[in-house]
Amino acid sequence: MRGRQISRRSVLKGSLMASVIGGTGSFFGPWRENHAWAQGAKPIKLGLTCDASGQYGNSGQDDFRGIKMAIDEFNAKGGVLGRQVTFITADTETTPATGSRVAERFITREDCTILVGALHSGVANAITQVASKYGVIYMNTNSSAPSEAGENCSRVKFVWDGNGTNFSKASVKNSVDSIGKNWMLLTNDYVWGHTTSAATKAQVEAAGGRIIDNLLVPQNTRDFTAYLLKIQQAKPDVVATAIGGDDIKALREQVAQLKLDGKPAWINNQQDWPDVWGAPDSLFGVFGTTWYHKLQLPGVAEFVKKWQAANKDGPIPVPGNVSYNGYMSTRELLRAIERAGSTNNVKIIKELENLKVSATDRMQHFDAYMDPVTHQMQQTIYLARRNAKPADNTDLFEIISWTEPKSAADDAAPTKCKLTPYEQVPTVDS
Amino acid sequence: MFDLLPHLLNGLTLGLLFALIALGFMLIVGLMEQINLAHGSLFALGAYVAMQLTGPRPPLPADLAKLWLALPLGWRYAATLVIAPVIVGLIGMLIEFCMRRTYGKDPLYGLLLTFGAAMVIEELIRLVWGTRDYVLQVPSAINGGFLFGDLIWSSYRFYAAGIAAGIIALVWVLIEKTSFGATVKAGAHDSEIVRALGINLSRLRLLVFVFGTMLAAIAGIIVAPIWGIRPHMGVDAVIPAFLVIVLGGVGSFWGAVVAGLLVGLCVGLAGAYASEWSLLSMYILLVAVVTFRARGLWGKKSVLEV
Amino acid sequence: MMANSTTSSDAARLVTPTMLVLWLVLATVPLWITRIGLYPYLGIEILIWSLYALAFNLVLGTAGLPSFGHGAYFGIGAYAFGLCQFDIVANLWVCLAAAAVVAGIAGALVALFISHRRGIYYAFMTIAFGQIFWTLAIKSHSVTGGEDGLLKISRLPADFGLVSFDLTDNVAFYYFVLAVFAVGTAILWRLVHSPYGRVVAAIRQSEVRAAHLGYNVWLYKASVFTLSAALSGFSGGLFAMAQLAAFPDVMSLHQSGYVVMMTLVGGGLVSFWGPVIGVFLFLTARDVIGALTNAWMLYFGLLFMAIVLFRPEGIAGALSAAVQQHSINALRRRGTSAMRLLVGGGR
Repeated sequence: MRGRQISRRSVLKGSLMASVIGGTGSFFGPWRENHAWAQGAKPIKLGLTCDASGQYGNSGQDDFRGIKMAIDEFNAKGGVLGRQVTFITADTETTPATGSRVAERFITREDCTILVGALHSGVANAITQVASKYGVIYMNTNSSAPSEAGENCSRVKFVWDGNGTNFSKASVKNSVDSIGKNWMLLTNDYVWGHTTSAATKAQVEAAGGRIIDNLLVPQNTRDFTAYLLKIQQAKPDVVATAIGGDDIKALREQVAQLKLDGKPAWINNQQDWPDVWGAPDSLFGVFGTTWYHKLQLPGVAEFVKKWQAANKDGPIPVPGNVSYNGYMSTRELLRAIERAGSTNNVKIIKELENLKVSATDRMQHFDAYMDPVTHQMQQTIYLARRNAKPADNTDLFEIISWTEPKSAADDAAPTKCKLTPYEQVPTVDS
Repeated sequence: MFDLLPHLLNGLTLGLLFALIALGFMLIVGLMEQINLAHGSLFALGAYVAMQLTGPRPPLPADLAKLWLALPLGWRYAATLVIAPVIVGLIGMLIEFCMRRTYGKDPLYGLLLTFGAAMVIEELIRLVWGTRDYVLQVPSAINGGFLFGDLIWSSYRFYAAGIAAGIIALVWVLIEKTSFGATVKAGAHDSEIVRALGINLSRLRLLVFVFGTMLAAIAGIIVAPIWGIRPHMGVDAVIPAFLVIVLGGVGSFWGAVVAGLLVGLCVGLAGAYASEWSLLSMYILLVAVVTFRARGLWGKKSVLEV
Repeated sequence: MMANSTTSSDAARLVTPTMLVLWLVLATVPLWITRIGLYPYLGIEILIWSLYALAFNLVLGTAGLPSFGHGAYFGIGAYAFGLCQFDIVANLWVCLAAAAVVAGIAGALVALFISHRRGIYYAFMTIAFGQIFWTLAIKSHSVTGGEDGLLKISRLPADFGLVSFDLTDNVAFYYFVLAVFAVGTAILWRLVHSPYGRVVAAIRQSEVRAAHLGYNVWLYKASVFTLSAALSGFSGGLFAMAQLAAFPDVMSLHQSGYVVMMTLVGGGLVSFWGPVIGVFLFLTARDVIGALTNAWMLYFGLLFMAIVLFRPEGIAGALSAAVQQHSINALRRRGTSAMRLLVGGGR
């Protein structure tokens, strides 16, 4: 990966000025993609919309590593339907406008018939809009806003991550029973924060608890002292946070510094592995995840080894939930193409809608399935806390519970999601 | 009332941090009448360099690295507080060499040049250190929390506020009480007098710029343990810095310090009593002040106004 | 300075030869854009941003007012277009007008606060208002959709009563945007070269002098800002159509910085067409470099620094200097002694 980057860069240096300033040479292409397949069959081309800069640049690249691993696995086995799988990727910059442009480029210029990759819900929505205009299938690997599988769902989009509602359902009831009834919410003041906190509130009240306060935290808050003081003054039993992005990283640092963990108890939403890896000491409270590289399940250790072999000297030593989602979604997509025996978009969509993946195959505790109504993968939801007895320096989580998909399902989503009929999806084939 | 006190205290410490973040920016604006938009990236660079120096893999030959790592974290940290700004100062020197070409032109060009420099530095950070987050280790003496008035407070925060106050005082002494400061100030306002006195103006400007970038780096090192370290962290610093300067008034040292404190109090109190408005409150404060006081609190007339 | 690059006869025209040539060249773009490895959507984006940058340059280049929060009006226009479509009437003309009007109102509101300010204070007040609008867009998610965006905006048909054009296809939409762009550039050209435009330009030279001449400086500054905001909002409406959605991100300080960057790199301070050149260069380079390497910001930042250092008047300035140089050399070769005198005197 790194070696390739350097060569690209040196190519660029020479021709940058000539092509960009000198106008339109013959330089526009070929892009970053694999080289010709020996067998002559036309390759299946995926467009990977992964952030490389901006708030989710780090996670976007981890997503990319998982996606690429799945593609490489299939090519090593002889491709899909006897055709090689190729890809192109470009930085979507954690910016929706860039997401739209990159998606348009991949579909109309690069002839990609499927798009994969997402972190930020705005970017994912921007890409979805373009994809559904053309009928191109889009794998939303890691954007976990509940609206993704609710009001913003789409026939061509499949959502692979667990969302805020799933995690609330997995964590709240137990905590009300075992820790206490007085809850305080710390909510990022944007859509994801509000929907996630609303789900938590409903769960708390259903379990007989009480929300004593909800502190709205503006996006881009870096200093949480005012909120931490406020929490200490209010003395709740539990604080449930719906803080995302860079804000949660700052909050983690500050809670860890004060050793506020435990007084009160903290319930966090999903913590993405690429974010955790940078600051392992700051993990606090209980938090969610969909996968962990030390799960005691068949296949996990082999998967981790293979991932590590493909990403030597990478910035992150082991795969986490983000890379896992990238890998799983791409693998299941390519398998669906094989089962469909066709690259026709509607045939693939129907395969994916009926997708069932066994627990072993998912490397999770329970069987998983695609909800055909919302297009969200229903999967095992794990709760974890910081590992007090790590086996090695990557062993940061202690998995404390796993909830089966049915018990964590977002019941409200199916009523909000309206998928367009198949007939109205433009046909795409390659 | 009793509930309010902790938030006032918090606001003040936050304010000192804002003032520290703005300090280097303010010097360059006040003394050179140049807007350094790379301030945020240099702030980030300071944090990264410090993280590398105090971390387990210092950029040194193997033997030296061993010796260095044998030192206690406290010593390494203290040394880093000096070394990292010097390294960042060298980058600042490079920027100033480029910036020279824009002197005497519309200050917009200096601003644009540094905007480009900010992009380059941010991307270089990404190439060298990758996109992941890092943590700056601090000695345990200044880490952790302490109990005061039934509440747990962060020791580091008070240390940071103390350092901020100390550096602000040092800079003030340097500018107001030394002959160097007097020349620098004269140079900014009337370059002909300085030239007539036989002082090398371009060296003076270089010094001021490098000093400003070193202050940006120090702010980065001090703030990093609170915010965390990531490639785009500079954006979080440059906007408050800009805001503090404009609120305080361009060219006014104490204006910037007071503005920093005001912004801190405003954000801190809003955080406690109208949490969702806390970040917006600083912009509203600025609009309120500048609507009635044309040049912020104590601004002087400046070429940046035309 | 604007007059340097414009002959007086051009200034009086409604449509100049440069304009005609540009429009004609742009009209052929869909025929060859895919052959050089680009795609129609990029052409749409370039035209929309060009219009936006030209509107922005009314404030920066013509009036000399540093506005660094212009993304706000572009974004407000996009939201207004979408909301008009959903809640008022799904008519292209009405909604584009709504985009311009709402953004213009926001601009006028801001102008009230900032028009007696100059320089850095002006710049930062525009940033502060930009941040306020951006935050409000994220906060008011029941209206705007917050960070998820205002989705499912459609490209309404261009209805001319007798005929109606469907704009869902990118090429069709490109031609629609081009038509709008043509009208927009003609109007802006007239505006800049009208008596009003000359007063605004005089204010850029010296506010004091303009005031002494009896002009109401405040009113001119406020009105030019409002006009610019309205036209930016109009472009934002087009952008919402292009993207089929509206997001808060275009309102962020970063994105507002990009339009300043494009305008200046192109040479907006010395040439009417500078912003268009800048947008073309910025968007094409970013697309091409971005597809090659994730480190596009590094190369772009370096390129940008080089332009500021060595061609501070921007590409347009460099071009016109080169053209002048060329014609001077040609004249020299012809040995016209009178010209020699003139050139000598000009130096």
